[in-house]
Amino acid sequence: MPSWADFQPFIVTGLALGGIYALSGVGLVVLYRATGVLNLAFGAVGAMGGFIAWQLIHDGVPGWVGWLACILFSGLLTLAYGLVFGPALAGRGPLVQAVATLGLTLVLFGAMDLAWPTSAGQAPGITFPTDNGGFTIGQVQVTWTNVIELGAGVLITVATGAFLRYSKLGTAMRAMANDREITATLGVPVRRVEAAAWFGCGLLSGIAGVMLGDPSLDATTLTFTVVISSLAAALIARLRSIPVTLVAALVIGLVHDLLTPIQQLSNYQNMTPFVLAAVVLLVASRSQVMTRSREEG
Amino acid sequence: MTGAYFACVNANGGINGHPIKYFPLTEPIDPAQIKAKAQLLVTTDHVVGIVGTSDILECGVDAPYWKAQGFYVIAAGIAPECWSTANSASVNMGPRYSSDGATQYVIAQGATKIAFDQSNVPGTQYIAGGPNAIAASKHVTIQDFTENVPITSANGIAIKLVDAAGPSGAVVLNFTPPEALKILKAAQQLNLENRVKAWACSTPCNTDYLATTLGSKWDGKLFVNAELTPLDNNTSPAAQLFQAILKQYGGDVTGGVGSFSEMGFVMGEMATHALGTITGPYTVASVNAAFKAIKGYNTGLLCQGFTYGSYSEHIPNNMDYTVTPTNGKFLQAPGGGCTLISPADPQIAGYRAIAGTAPVAS
Amino acid sequence: MSMIDTARHAAPAASSRLPPMDRRSLISTTVIAAALLLALFALPPLMSLYYTDTMTQVAIYSIVALGLGLLVGRVGLYSLGQLAVLAIGAWTGARLLFATGQPFILVLIEAGLVTMIIGSLITLPALRLRGLYLALITLMLAGAVTVILATVNFPNGGGGFSGYNGNQLHTPHIRRPSFAGTDPAFYRFSVIVAIVMFLLVFIHLRTRPGRAWAAIKQSEPAALAAGINTTFYKLWALALSAFVTGVAGALLAGADGQLYSIDFPVQNSISLLAVVLVGGAFSLAGAVVAAFLQSFVPALLQVWGVQQDWLTIIFGIGVLQVLATAPGGIADQFPKDMMKLYGLISRLWRRPTAAKPAGVAATEAKGGDPA
Repeated sequence: MPSWADFQPFIVTGLALGGIYALSGVGLVVLYRATGVLNLAFGAVGAMGGFIAWQLIHDGVPGWVGWLACILFSGLLTLAYGLVFGPALAGRGPLVQAVATLGLTLVLFGAMDLAWPTSAGQAPGITFPTDNGGFTIGQVQVTWTNVIELGAGVLITVATGAFLRYSKLGTAMRAMANDREITATLGVPVRRVEAAAWFGCGLLSGIAGVMLGDPSLDATTLTFTVVISSLAAALIARLRSIPVTLVAALVIGLVHDLLTPIQQLSNYQNMTPFVLAAVVLLVASRSQVMTRSREEG
Repeated sequence: MTGAYFACVNANGGINGHPIKYFPLTEPIDPAQIKAKAQLLVTTDHVVGIVGTSDILECGVDAPYWKAQGFYVIAAGIAPECWSTANSASVNMGPRYSSDGATQYVIAQGATKIAFDQSNVPGTQYIAGGPNAIAASKHVTIQDFTENVPITSANGIAIKLVDAAGPSGAVVLNFTPPEALKILKAAQQLNLENRVKAWACSTPCNTDYLATTLGSKWDGKLFVNAELTPLDNNTSPAAQLFQAILKQYGGDVTGGVGSFSEMGFVMGEMATHALGTITGPYTVASVNAAFKAIKGYNTGLLCQGFTYGSYSEHIPNNMDYTVTPTNGKFLQAPGGGCTLISPADPQIAGYRAIAGTAPVAS
Repeated sequence: MSMIDTARHAAPAASSRLPPMDRRSLISTTVIAAALLLALFALPPLMSLYYTDTMTQVAIYSIVALGLGLLVGRVGLYSLGQLAVLAIGAWTGARLLFATGQPFILVLIEAGLVTMIIGSLITLPALRLRGLYLALITLMLAGAVTVILATVNFPNGGGGFSGYNGNQLHTPHIRRPSFAGTDPAFYRFSVIVAIVMFLLVFIHLRTRPGRAWAAIKQSEPAALAAGINTTFYKLWALALSAFVTGVAGALLAGADGQLYSIDFPVQNSISLLAVVLVGGAFSLAGAVVAAFLQSFVPALLQVWGVQQDWLTIIFGIGVLQVLATAPGGIADQFPKDMMKLYGLISRLWRRPTAAKPAGVAATEAKGGDPA
């Protein structure tokens, strides 16, 4: 069994990883609560934004412009999807709508592999100026980027939670999640609120894409692996509670990386999100039958 | 790159006036499709020779088929069967022997402990067997790791490897360039590159964009097993021909300039030479007999002359270069000239027992 | 089909007898039979080995699509991890084929049963969940299986429980049935196995389980109220789906000869769902269409030199289109479109003389018999 000192560096990397899962997970939950759609294309949208940012920077555009382009692109793409397919699939239930976002995922994944194939002899990746500075805690090197990633995860979680609770738009989103029709009859501009939710979710995925793209952009990892891990966190929070999503994401990141020094288990570390989510869901379903409501298909 | 070479040959009159018709096929890493493609080439396209195959699984999937059809393949292999069967000879060394070369080099630089990491693709124990045997023969401890690819958390991996190797040890990687880059970049971000004595990588890392992406922090720190003669700053006739063909016909070449594109060139070169020796009709029998007859051929890009021969296994390239990034290019590392892979690896010893040890080509 | 119909059919004692066939069913059955005879006897001599191998994959994946379509189309369970089930079947089949000398057909059945048991055990606790959560759990479980497989690896002739030897210089190929060793013979064998699996599902659909599934799909609480044990029937659907997929997996082991965990990534489960949706989740014919999309079209594209990514993009668009406008997929839409085309043509033909009714009547005819 490895010693405490052996585990230390992995606590840092695990928290940083968890911070990014938190970011994606919170985005998922917010959108779900506002529109009833679980946007599984979250990762693909962010990844595509990341690649676009890299391409722009590679062609000479200044760094921050590229990152901004990524975030904006992701926001607009998600908004466009929501505007076109939101109404088309409205009333079909969350399951169908979630599967539809898988369609978007495939389209983007294929497009990314066409435009930036792995065999192209390039190494797409985002770099931040904060990558090479940092400080040491004990034996462990912590880069400023790690700090930002974790900080962003926490900050955005808190901000989103506050936004949903205290702001007018946020309250409207929560109301819509509860019951769209009644909210509409109350005079809330439902379409606009929905659009705002889609756009916001897109922005978050763009931020996640830029951060996850440091140092390497990998379409498969960003499109599938990260989404599944963030989804696990969101599921643990029953697609409802934002603070729980944050905590769950951090736990997933931590457990995943903490398994690294344990020889016998490290091969299975990628199972962490799945196992945690499955266990929590199954335990939760025992104590309370997930009754049929608007919230499931 | 093999295709580019053949295009050049065809543009200059072909083989004794006959143009080479080249059918390059690609397929996803799926045994069913690999086998189907082999059958497509033989039964539909009626090819007379197989040159230039390069795929994680191909040799293993197709070995019985090539044997049944009487083909002697010239490959840039990856699967173990590319070296362990009679019907396949590779211009490269493959993951096991290339990792051998990398391990040998770092031990020669004084590493006393090795952390060997590779991607979790088929045959990891076979691949690790080589470096383990070599480390054992030099009384160096070695610890083996595997990673599922694509890698998702490179930071953890970098820390793990550095801890395992220790300050007087070395990390040896066997990954494709994008995956190796993830680990190396993570190590750099975490300031870990100097925490071990040396880093080494098997041949796939020898590709130009890796050198340029990594930056100068890795100069003289990362040692890549090159299997073929380094091309950067190389003015030999073969290297010049390579650059010329790449420039004129190499529009379709992907993956950067490095070991694998060189392998393509060498395969094209040798196949052309062998085909040129055929006097009668070009049939499956005559072409493959010509491939088998290649003996001591100096490609200009391999340490040794290449001999196919009628052996039950083929490891014709078993002498190595090592390169290190230098100002964005891969140049030969100190002591990295033609070095025989150690016979501590039983497979190498076994091959040399039946085929002898080819000397450095002049 | 309304709730009342279902209740009426579910009650009487003779409910397990197959209902008689009407004229349209007779025609479609004849067409299907003809197509199968063609596939079995006329095609092999015409096809090169490349296409024979490809069509073998089509036969195998039609069974997989059948299993998934059963869940999605009949019971409303969107399984996002069906490829993991296939992998379990392939693993079991390969292990048995290496370790024992049992006849191939026996191995197929055993693999199906093992997969059925494992599949049911894993998903049983999840059956309480509904819709979206159930689908996401299948994704989670599939992810877990994928990681386990990457570590345990597929059998390759080695010893021990896992049958994996990582140190081999020569990897033996998984054996095939003694009577179907060559590629064309194995192709025919695969088609026959596929026919048997389709028949198995067909019989289920025409008898009580099929009606129960239809009731559950329409409205689970109403089905519960009508006295149908929904958990039992859902489990039955999952078990049947897992069984046929397991058989397909063992067949795949024989077809491919070598199996690798890199061939079963999680994202392929998603594209599998996509092709089943696009092909048509509500009909047996849809499963065959899905298999063509999954295995035949890519093979064609490779020969033409078109990159596979285009197909991925088209599948993505297909999913969006199917879900938004045509839930029955190609298998459902194609006959409808053909009928519309027929109607259009006959309208144009008759325009000089008389009126519209003929065209209108033609378009009203229902397309896509939900077999």
